Order: sequence, then structure tokens, then C-alpha cells
Amino acid sequence: MAVRRIELMLCTGTGCVAGGAFRIYETLEKEIQKQGLEKEISVIITGCNGFCGQGPLMVVQPDEIFYGFLTPEDIPFLVQEHLLKGRPVKKLMFTPPEKKEPVPLLSEIPFFKKQMLVVLRNKGIIDPEKIDDYIARDGYTALEKVLSSMTPDDVIDEITRSGLRGRGGGGFPTGTKWKICRTEQKTPKYIICNCDEGDPGAYMDRSVFETDPHTVIEGMIIGAYAIGASHAYIYARTEYPLAIKRMDLAISHARDYGLLGKNILGTGFSFNLEIREGSGAFVCGEETSLIHSIEGKGPEPRQRPPFPAQLGIWDCPTVINNVETWANVPVIINRGADWFSKLGTETSKGTKIFSLVGKINNTGLIEVPMGITLREIVYDIGGGIPYDKKFKAVQTGGPSGGCMPDSMIDVPIDYESLTEAGSMMGSGGMIVMDEDICMVDVAKFFIQFTNDESCGKCTTCRDGSEALYEILTNITNGDGKEGDLEFLDEVGNAVKDASMCGLGTTLPNPVLSTLKYFRDEYEAHIKEKRCPALVCKNLIKYYILPEKCTGCKLCLKNCPPDAIKGELKHVHIIDQSKCTKCGTCLDVCPPKVSAIIKVTGKEMENITGIEEPYPVKRRKK
Amino acid sequence: MADKVGAVAVLGGGISGMQAALDLADSGLKVYLVDNKPAIGGVMAQLDKTFPTNDCAMCTMAPRLVEIGRHKDVEIITLSDIEKVEGEAGNFKVILNKKPRYINEEKCTGCGTCITNCPTRNKVQPIEKTKVELEPQFKDKVTEIIRINKGREGPLMAILQQINTTFNYLPENVLRYVSQEVGYPVSHILHIATFYSSFSIVPRGKHIINICMGTACYVKGSERLMERFSDVLEINENETTPDKLFTLKSVRCIGCCGLAPAAMIGDNVYGNLSTKDIPGIIEKYKTIV
Repeated sequence: MAVRRIELMLCTGTGCVAGGAFRIYETLEKEIQKQGLEKEISVIITGCNGFCGQGPLMVVQPDEIFYGFLTPEDIPFLVQEHLLKGRPVKKLMFTPPEKKEPVPLLSEIPFFKKQMLVVLRNKGIIDPEKIDDYIARDGYTALEKVLSSMTPDDVIDEITRSGLRGRGGGGFPTGTKWKICRTEQKTPKYIICNCDEGDPGAYMDRSVFETDPHTVIEGMIIGAYAIGASHAYIYARTEYPLAIKRMDLAISHARDYGLLGKNILGTGFSFNLEIREGSGAFVCGEETSLIHSIEGKGPEPRQRPPFPAQLGIWDCPTVINNVETWANVPVIINRGADWFSKLGTETSKGTKIFSLVGKINNTGLIEVPMGITLREIVYDIGGGIPYDKKFKAVQTGGPSGGCMPDSMIDVPIDYESLTEAGSMMGSGGMIVMDEDICMVDVAKFFIQFTNDESCGKCTTCRDGSEALYEILTNITNGDGKEGDLEFLDEVGNAVKDASMCGLGTTLPNPVLSTLKYFRDEYEAHIKEKRCPALVCKNLIKYYILPEKCTGCKLCLKNCPPDAIKGELKHVHIIDQSKCTKCGTCLDVCPPKVSAIIKVTGKEMENITGIEEPYPVKRRKK
Repeated sequence: MADKVGAVAVLGGGISGMQAALDLADSGLKVYLVDNKPAIGGVMAQLDKTFPTNDCAMCTMAPRLVEIGRHKDVEIITLSDIEKVEGEAGNFKVILNKKPRYINEEKCTGCGTCITNCPTRNKVQPIEKTKVELEPQFKDKVTEIIRINKGREGPLMAILQQINTTFNYLPENVLRYVSQEVGYPVSHILHIATFYSSFSIVPRGKHIINICMGTACYVKGSERLMERFSDVLEINENETTPDKLFTLKSVRCIGCCGLAPAAMIGDNVYGNLSTKDIPGIIEKYKTIV
């Protein structure tokens, strides 16, 4: 590989690709050629950088300068100024919302500063489609160490001592799982990598595949050696085409290099890997259901025990771990269990990747040590809530998790503390919610999700979610009645107790935890017919403030059901009988005017929309 | 118990019907336990274990069966359908239609000899199967997909996925053909085909619009995107436009949470969407033929 003066690390995670990263790539190549710099500068396509909210983005190395929100139009200027003349372009750098001066260096940006990269150590540094890049970053050295100097028992012992726990959400100690499988007499044994990342709001598994697929492969080979397996499956969501493509490529490269297949590195150990795709069923993230899905059976979960480590795919012992768990393995082998177990808290070791999304300034993927507080994540890394809104809660663990209110913002995050709060680690989605979000509506959203995705095997899960959904719908429609909350609580706990798999036992969490922390919101819906967050359509009305409306006709033109009457320079009025409460008027009303508001509860009574438009009074300056 | 008058009809002699009949009879009421099967017991009698506790089914129901049989206030009426129920709470009249049993119940001791001696009982009665032929537009591609996957372990998912992506849906006749060639029963294939959300058993449009309904997109208003798409295309969710160009669907998180709210059309992801952008996007796809 030729050494270049400058390397441009262009992020091509799914987010940035959707933002046009490949168009930027083409423009960059063209511009670089135009300036005759192709011998000095190369553009490297990397996996997800993590700071998805700024995409498409790029890091200029070795200067370490971060550019975000790129468009093809910016490129000629950027190439000329920075790459040719050596003057970094300020206007494309990251500027924190509250500050005026941009932060040029990647390592100085608060989003990256507090992170600790273990699993994502290669993000933004290597080209995921090149195995040599991975090898250059100590790739496959852990495998070499394991095959040449460790027995399978040594490996299991090392993983056990490291305290690594399953990163898919359950938190089962990985070393123990491997040991159970190793001691099983039956052969052959299998291993599976679970990349059926169904939790809405979580995308770390996809990102690991797109950024550093080889670290997962290496982890799996080590795992296979430890338990004595010779065949493995990677079960990936079909919604992740780019991740599957890169993993597929990585597997074929590894095979070409003799790292997969027969007699790996000349040690006599053989191992094979194949990808199986899911087809869009949330329950397939559950391990027994996933196994059924690969086998081509009906993908309903089954009773455990026997656990898959004893009786798994094709009725053989099977170790099934999450993507992130596998990706941790090579690091633990290379740097040692002692190093790993120093990270994190008493019970939860190492780091965890969270996807920080929702109402937050810096959206993206972050890797932080266990035990970090929510405050550090939301305010230091996330940069706070946009538009100075009030922080309300963080939802973790997807549809199986719960909400952590602002009173818990200083609790250190690990498996235990989240469970205690009525939530769970889940796969690590972290959705930040501000004051504009109605917690009853959120609970309804999750229950609708699980109700849809319930496989229907257990009555409590299938019908219980239906019952919960019905009550929640009544409440958000303004038809809630006395006793509904007690009913939610009772049904929720019944579903929790009597369902079989993880989906059912955790599905009431969003309801139970919001009931616990946001009971006043439920009560406002039921007793006062009021939605404090102004979300539930039946409980709100849109209203044009006459003293603010300038009569510009923007909302009138954009209103889908033509519910706004008015003419130029006349105060517009919303006909409440026609209004579908889509909110388009609020979107299009210019921020300077902001004449449209939402009202709820008692305030709605006087708004009828039967007046006629009248001329706008000229305002005194 | 002196104030109890009248009788109660319990319809259905399964485990819950039996328990209800016993509770009622124990409280002093006359009970008629009605079932349309030749015997009471219901589904539970066919089970080995019950879910989710894995309790032995027969151990739960046997004591109740015995007790019902000898309770003086329970009268069992089997092989009977309900013809009519009239009256109101407190005073019902139930008319039953009792089917013939062709056996004198008074004399039968339940020895079972007649069953074991019945000459036609254990004869296999095969259903005539006709060979499924594929329509010409499916033939080459489907036989190729089956040929590639047939040797693999657990081939069904891969076959269905490839058929689904090739034709955008799973045609019924093709599924029958797969059943015939690969050896899975049609019912099993349909179970799989209807379980996963990315499979469809009805034809879909050329461009499938997937609106992300993940949490991050939801809190940023993806429901409004769905409404707008539905308005512009004049179809509801899970429907296809009459010109077979667009199908509107919601999807569980496409993992572009940083771009919320997002939608996916074909393989292209659109992020940070606003309801304003939608008509323009649709127009763009209409021009691609």
C-alpha cells in the first residue's frame, strides 16, 4: 500500500449513504484528480463513524479534522482550501449549538471525548471491505494466539474471568454459556451470531457489521474453537442489505486468507460460516425462535430448559450470542481478562454501545464504559435537548424496556440498575424524550408493536397485549375511565408472570414503568381529558393566534383537508370540523411568525372555528 | 341453599365447562352440561401437558370427570347442538337437538369392543393429489431457485425469500409447487409465508414504500409521514395502488435512527423526511419506469 500525505475517511454507514455519501465520494475523486492530487491523497471508505446526526461526514487524517453535513457542492471548495492550500474549512466543521466557534478536531468534539472504544475500536479507521486493513490493526492476532498457545479450556476461563455478559440484553455470562455447551457430549456443535436486531431505535449490530465485520468473524472462530464447534450461522435482518453485503464479502476474504474453512492457520482446526437472513419478525431475535427460523420451522419460541447450549439447532448443542458479544471476544483475548474486568461496574464489565437517538442534539452511536450516568450520556455526549426543551425521560431496551425519568439521571447504567428501574439493557437503544412527547402515547406505541409481533403462542402475550392496547387507545382517545390504571397494572403483571419467552415477559415494561413514573400524565388524560404533551389527537385542537397571524396563506395552501379559511392579509381560521390534526400548518408556519398553537383540556372549549377571516391589524412597531 | 331455584345449562363440556358445572352444582343448582361431541372433556383431554406450567393434563381433569359423572345434580347431555335460546337473564329456554348415536345408551357399558372390531376404522383413505404445474412466467426462475437451495440444511426460508424478492410476492401456485418439490406440507409453508412481515401472499407494487415506525422515527412524527403518503397515493397501509406502482407498508426500524423520521423505497433510504417532501418523492418514482 502506497503511503499518502492525506487520507480522507469518508463514512459510509447506512445513514450517511442515505444522505448521499457515495455522491460525495465520486465528487471527491473527481476533484482530487482535477487538482492532480491522486498520488498524495486517497479517499477511504469506512464504516459508520457513529455521529450519524451530522452525516454525510468525513474525517481528514492525519490532521484529525471532522467535517459534517457535506454536500457535493461543498467538495470543490473543500479540496482546494484544505487539501491544496492547507487551510481547514471552518464552515463545514462541527459547531455545538450553544457555541459560535467550531470544534475542528475529532478528539475534541464532546460527542467523541467521553467515549471508550473497544468493540468499535476500528470505526472510521479501516475500510470494512478490506481484510488487510483489519489485519493491520492487530486483526486475527487473537485468533493466532488462541490457536497456537491456548487450550479451549483456557479460552473459556479467560472469557469467564473477564466478566463478559451477553450484549443482546439478557446479560447471561458468556463464559458460563460456553462452558455448558463445551461439556455437552453430543456432537456436532454449532454457534450462531444473532444479528436480528429488532429493537426499534437500536442499530449497533448493523453498524458493527458495516464497520468492522472481521472482528465478529474472529470472535466467532475463537468461540468455535473454545466449545468445539465446526459450523456457524450468522442470522441477520433482511432490512440491513449493506450489512449483509459487507459481512458476505468479509467471509469470502477470510476464506481466501485461510482463516475460515479447513485446517485454519495450519493447526488442523476447521470452521465454516454462513449467513442466513431473517424476513422481518421481531420474535426471531429470541434465541429459540431464531433457531426455528433457520431450521425453516414455524418461528415460535419454545420452552426453556433445555437451553440452546444443551439442545439447539438441528437438536445439537448451540452457543448463540449477540454481535456485540462476539466482537468483544478478540479484544479480551488480546488485552487479557484482567484489563477487561477493570472496566465497568461491579457486576457489569466492559463497555456497551448505545444508539443515542430521539430528541437529542447529537444523534449517533456511542460506546461508553458500563457505569456511566445518563446525565453524562445526554448532556456531555449528546449535547442536550434541541431547542432548549426540557428533558423528560430516556427509553431503553426497546419494546421490552422502560422509561427512566429525569429523577434517575444520575444512576450509573448497568444491567442491574436498569432492571431495578423497571427497564432493561436490551440491545442498547436509548431514545431521548423531551417535554413534547406523551408518555401514554409512547406506551401505546410499544404495546401496539408487541401486540403485532407477538407470535400468538401464549394466550397471555397474545390477548394480554390486545387488552392493554385497547385500554391505552381508550385513554389516548379521551375515553379513559376510572379504574383503567389499576386494570393496566393487573393485566401487565399477569402477562409478565404467565408468558413463556422474553417477548411476553417484558412486553408490559413500557406500560408499567410509565405508570410508575408518569402516573400524573395518565390521570390528566382520564380525569381532565387533557394531553399535557399536546400529542393525542382527540384531546387537542390546533388554533391560529389572531394577534400573530400575518395572513400569508402558507398554511392555507398546505393544509391537506383544506380546513383553513382565509385570504391574503386576513387572519386565517381553522375549521375544526374539517381539521384532521395532521400538524402540517404548524410545520409550515414560519418560525418568525409562529402563529399556530396546540391547545388541550379546558382551553379547547372556546375554539369552534366558526368565525370568518378578518383583516390583519397593522402592528405598531 | 333453600332459596335456589331453577336450573343452569352449561354449554361446552371442556375443562372450564366442567369446573363451572361442578361449582354450580355444589352451590345447589341443577346443571345440564351440554356438549356437541360424543363425550365431555374437550381439548384438554387430548393434551399431554398444559402450557405454560407443564402440568399433566389428565391429572388436572380426571378428578373433575369422575366427580361430574357421579354428581347427583349434573346431567350430561352429549352429541347435542343448540337449536335455540330464548328468554332473558333469569329465565331462559334452551332447545337442543340431540343427534343419534346408533347405540343404545341404556345398555352400553363402554367396553370398546365395537371400536376395535370395526372393519373400516384403521383403513387409510388417501386423498387424490394432482400434480402442480407452474405458469410459464414463474417456471424457469422458480425451478432454478429450488435447484440451488434444495440440498442445503433448512432450505425453506431461503427459497421463500428468493421467490419473494424475485416476484415481489409469493404466488399461491408457486407455494404449492414448492410443497410438492421440496416436501413440506402446504400448511407449513403458509404458516411461514404469513408469519414474516416481509413476505406477501398478494401481489405488490413495483416500488415498496416502507415507512420506518421505529421508536426514534415515531417520536419524530413518522405516523404523520404515513398519513401523508396514504393521502398522496390514495391508498391505506398495506395496499397497492391500482397502477401497481406503489405499495405502502410500515417497517420495524430500518436502523437509520440518526436520520429519523426515515422511509425506505426499494433499497433507497430517505432520511429527515418532512410531510412537505412526499409529493415530490412520489413524482420522482412515477417517472422511473
